[in-house]
Amino acid sequence: MAFFDRANSIAKPGFNRWLVPPAALCIHLCIGEAYAFSVFTKPMAQAIGVTAPLSGVDWSVPQLGWIFSLAIAILGLSAAFGGKWVERAGPRAAMFFAASCFSLGLIVAALGVNWHLLGLVYLGYGVIGGCGLGIGYISPVSTLIKWFPDRPGLATGTAIMGFGGGALIGAPLSVLLMKHFANANGTGVAQTMAVLAVLYFIWMCVGSVIVRLPPDGWRPTGYVPPTASQAMITNKNVVLESALRTPQFYLLWAVLCLNVTAGIGVLGQASLMIQEMFGVTAIAAAGFVGLLSIFNMGGRIFWASLSDFIGRKMTYAIFFILGAVLYFLVPTFGHMHALALFVLAFLVILSMYGGGFATIPAYLRDLYGTVNVGAIHGALLTAWSVAGVAGPVLVNYIREYQIDHGVAKADAYSITMYIMAALLVVGLLCNLAVRPVHERHHLEEQPVTT
Amino acid sequence: MDRLEEQMRPSDSSTTMLVLAWLWVGIPLAWGVAVTIQNALKLFE
Repeated sequence: MAFFDRANSIAKPGFNRWLVPPAALCIHLCIGEAYAFSVFTKPMAQAIGVTAPLSGVDWSVPQLGWIFSLAIAILGLSAAFGGKWVERAGPRAAMFFAASCFSLGLIVAALGVNWHLLGLVYLGYGVIGGCGLGIGYISPVSTLIKWFPDRPGLATGTAIMGFGGGALIGAPLSVLLMKHFANANGTGVAQTMAVLAVLYFIWMCVGSVIVRLPPDGWRPTGYVPPTASQAMITNKNVVLESALRTPQFYLLWAVLCLNVTAGIGVLGQASLMIQEMFGVTAIAAAGFVGLLSIFNMGGRIFWASLSDFIGRKMTYAIFFILGAVLYFLVPTFGHMHALALFVLAFLVILSMYGGGFATIPAYLRDLYGTVNVGAIHGALLTAWSVAGVAGPVLVNYIREYQIDHGVAKADAYSITMYIMAALLVVGLLCNLAVRPVHERHHLEEQPVTT
Repeated sequence: MDRLEEQMRPSDSSTTMLVLAWLWVGIPLAWGVAVTIQNALKLFE
């Protein structure tokens, strides 16, 4: 197993650092399949009935909804608790572990579907697969930051773009496979999951083989590291334990949580929302969701790269101000029946949702240095777990409450949009409160900052 | 430091590897984006 040792993954002379982003994409494009899990919901809800759900026997949609929520919750927890191990073991071992967990999770879930045991599906996709998601998500981040000290936003944005893009591959691929395997006796979900497990394992292992760490002291040609800390960018390092004692960590936790809450709730309800507000067909609504996915992916690389030039704090300020204005205007666009403006507003909002994920590692690197950035990023991802539950619950329950109190379906989202705008204003205040980390938290013996 | 930079100058074989690695991730992603855009166009029909 020496192949997986951290020491054996250090780059040899002649290595091109631009090989590291595709290695990271091998992982993120696979684990990003989680965003496409909803394509399994309908066929799993009629796994026994095949052509229609068999009442009292087949699983209900809310029961199946917990699979994704559980996976996201475990993602945050495993990233938080596994971050230190990822730093210690290195990216190659971490990526291989993620590949093993994610694929094993799919196999166990496939068995659960085949034997119609929901607990086994929760264990497989939710718990085992969720560990693969969490470790896989953080595994390439600190390595990329070390290879690209001159463009950390671009580097992490490229990798995290993959998590947004995973659904674009996972959804049509799963649909194709289910069509192939479906017959009179089954919907083909179990076979599809098993095939995906094998394909994703191979794809992720390629990333694990390609990835390399830079040698100590390496820096890009022509790059001169700053000799003194700039206003919001430190050249010092802070370890995880110290970072957890700084107010900046909790402010950034709130920043990520609020940005994700505002986006994720809408992402889950986008199809229903556009149908109820504008009366478009289900097929057109699916097209809208597809567009959102593309902007969710594109926003990750666009905003994170832009943050290299305008700074992380300014980038998040744009997210919160522009996001709040757009959420505030969405009900008005609905009343005006301005479909194009409505679509445009949500495309921008979703680009900023993705941008928030992709910019946060570089923000952490600016504040805490590079030594423990992977572990600190992992701990911060618990904000995603909370937002992953809070966002959809907020949108769903407020909508239900309004409809129960006689509000027309087309108008049932207005209050939710105003609440989202208010959440983003709170996020803006948290972001404005972020200051450089006090020097008492800095490591005394400074490791070489690449 | 300059010597380390010199050693890490990308070799020809790593350039081939680079092209292959980007194709490995780029082709499936391009397929996924193309399929999604095809479906998204239905929104405007």
